[in-house]
Amino acid sequence: MIDLLLEPFGYQYMIKAIAACALVGGVCAFLSVYLMLKGWSLMGDALAHSIVPGVALAHLLALPYAIGAFFAGILASFSMAIVKQKTKLREDAIIGLIFTTFFAIGLLLVSINPTAVNIQAIILGNILAISDYDLIQVTIISIICLIVLTLKWKDLMAVFFDEKHAHSIGLPVQALKITFFTLLSAACVAALQTVGACLVIAMVVTPGATAYLLTDKFTKLILIAIALGTLTSGFGAYLSFFINANPGGLIVSLQTLIFLSAYLCAPKYGIINTKRNVYKIKSYQKGAING
Amino acid sequence: MPLMDSILTFITEPLAHEFMQRAMLISILIGTVCSIFSCFLILKGWSLMGDAVSHAVLPGLALAYIINIPLIIGAFAAGLFCALATGFIKNSSRVKEDAVMGIVFSGMFAFGLVMLTKIETDVHLLHILFGNVLGITKNDLIEAGTIATLCSLIMLIKRKDLMLYCFDPAHANVIGLQTRTIHFGLLILLALTIVSSLKAAGIILVIAMLIAPGATAYLLTNSFDKMLIIALITSITSCIAGTILSYHIDAATAPLIVVIQSTIFLAALIKSGRKPSPKKGLAHGQ
Repeated sequence: MIDLLLEPFGYQYMIKAIAACALVGGVCAFLSVYLMLKGWSLMGDALAHSIVPGVALAHLLALPYAIGAFFAGILASFSMAIVKQKTKLREDAIIGLIFTTFFAIGLLLVSINPTAVNIQAIILGNILAISDYDLIQVTIISIICLIVLTLKWKDLMAVFFDEKHAHSIGLPVQALKITFFTLLSAACVAALQTVGACLVIAMVVTPGATAYLLTDKFTKLILIAIALGTLTSGFGAYLSFFINANPGGLIVSLQTLIFLSAYLCAPKYGIINTKRNVYKIKSYQKGAING
Repeated sequence: MPLMDSILTFITEPLAHEFMQRAMLISILIGTVCSIFSCFLILKGWSLMGDAVSHAVLPGLALAYIINIPLIIGAFAAGLFCALATGFIKNSSRVKEDAVMGIVFSGMFAFGLVMLTKIETDVHLLHILFGNVLGITKNDLIEAGTIATLCSLIMLIKRKDLMLYCFDPAHANVIGLQTRTIHFGLLILLALTIVSSLKAAGIILVIAMLIAPGATAYLLTNSFDKMLIIALITSITSCIAGTILSYHIDAATAPLIVVIQSTIFLAALIKSGRKPSPKKGLAHGQ
């Protein structure tokens, strides 16, 4: 039994995949706390789709994929900012328009030159067959993100909760915001390798939202989210060895299941307990009226 | 005139093939239904709902294959489930709507992905993701065509009520419209539109077809009827141009259509930027 459970660790590619997924899952979960609080969840989705043409182009030109992805992400953010400034379109429409355009450009590039790029790997992730070169990129990106976040998490929290307050206590609000979006793009680039463009959104939303149902304290929120992100990602990759299914799909399915259990059973904010509390209050009120 | 001739052959040559005729027909059909819906979508602020519902159809396709019912029904049910589940979870927990939407649709997409890798289906994952205009069969054409025509007609006939609801739900309620019915009607129409476009455009690019025409038209006019007409024209033009061009440059059709639509949006953006305060009348329906 134990031999069977330890079997994945006998393969080097599995160890690499599990470690990389856990690392990226932790970083994305850290970011998810901020995204979720600010209501920017779908930025993660938009960024992940927008970097596809950059990745495709980098593959075509034999550059490190992270560079192409990063430039495409920045270009997409700029386009969104410009369209927002020039029109009165709603923000969600602008985000949707830009990311699908970028995505379409990426697909077009691939369709014109189909042999050079493995589009399935970009869309659905390719962690089990990741090359050492890509693995180094993912590791470097994740570690830099983690260091910056650990150093700046308090300042970022101040900015995200109350910009005016952050400004008045002398924090460089604009610089911190730009830092955050840079980190987010970098994390999306890393997550693209592990779960693929379509599922990056879950990595940067679900752990934070689950933690939000479990606690009120910000430090606990971050710790729970990171723990959830790291464990589900590592375990999902591990599980894919036995189930033989797409690791990204498994990781995100796990995260969603945990969110659903928290949604149902969380001690304070789960719907079962909320209903019970409402019932208690009602019967208490009734008792008070009657007696 | 040799120039006219060569232009004519440029257009007619692709249409000599039967698969190109079908591709042309289906892209015009879905271009029509998507562009009509896009006008409501822009006013209502549902762009990301389109994103969510289209990703969420994936497990529906897999389940439909397992229990052996038409794929279109499975896709429709899954899309609708995503929209309803998002609403339900949002109302009963303290997580914000955008996060709930992201969790529900990515969870469903992931679940569908796992199922599709586990079961042997004749559903080709990449075709679902990116569409396959050139591989459309006659049956697909009839199925998608019926749904698309039906949705387009309903939306055109009911456009006044729908527009009022998207624009100002409270007002629509006051003057006696059944806003709940309209809300669910719109969700059903959204799911149907996406399902009809699935085979040709794929679940990611259909989002673009559902946003770009309406957004373009929104920049150019203040009247809703004009907005509908402009959206229809830009969408159908780009569908025709995209299909023909994709034949000549040997590129994927659906992405090319989307890129053309976005180029038209860019042109509209530049044009509307020159006019002093171009839009006043048609404000956002909050």
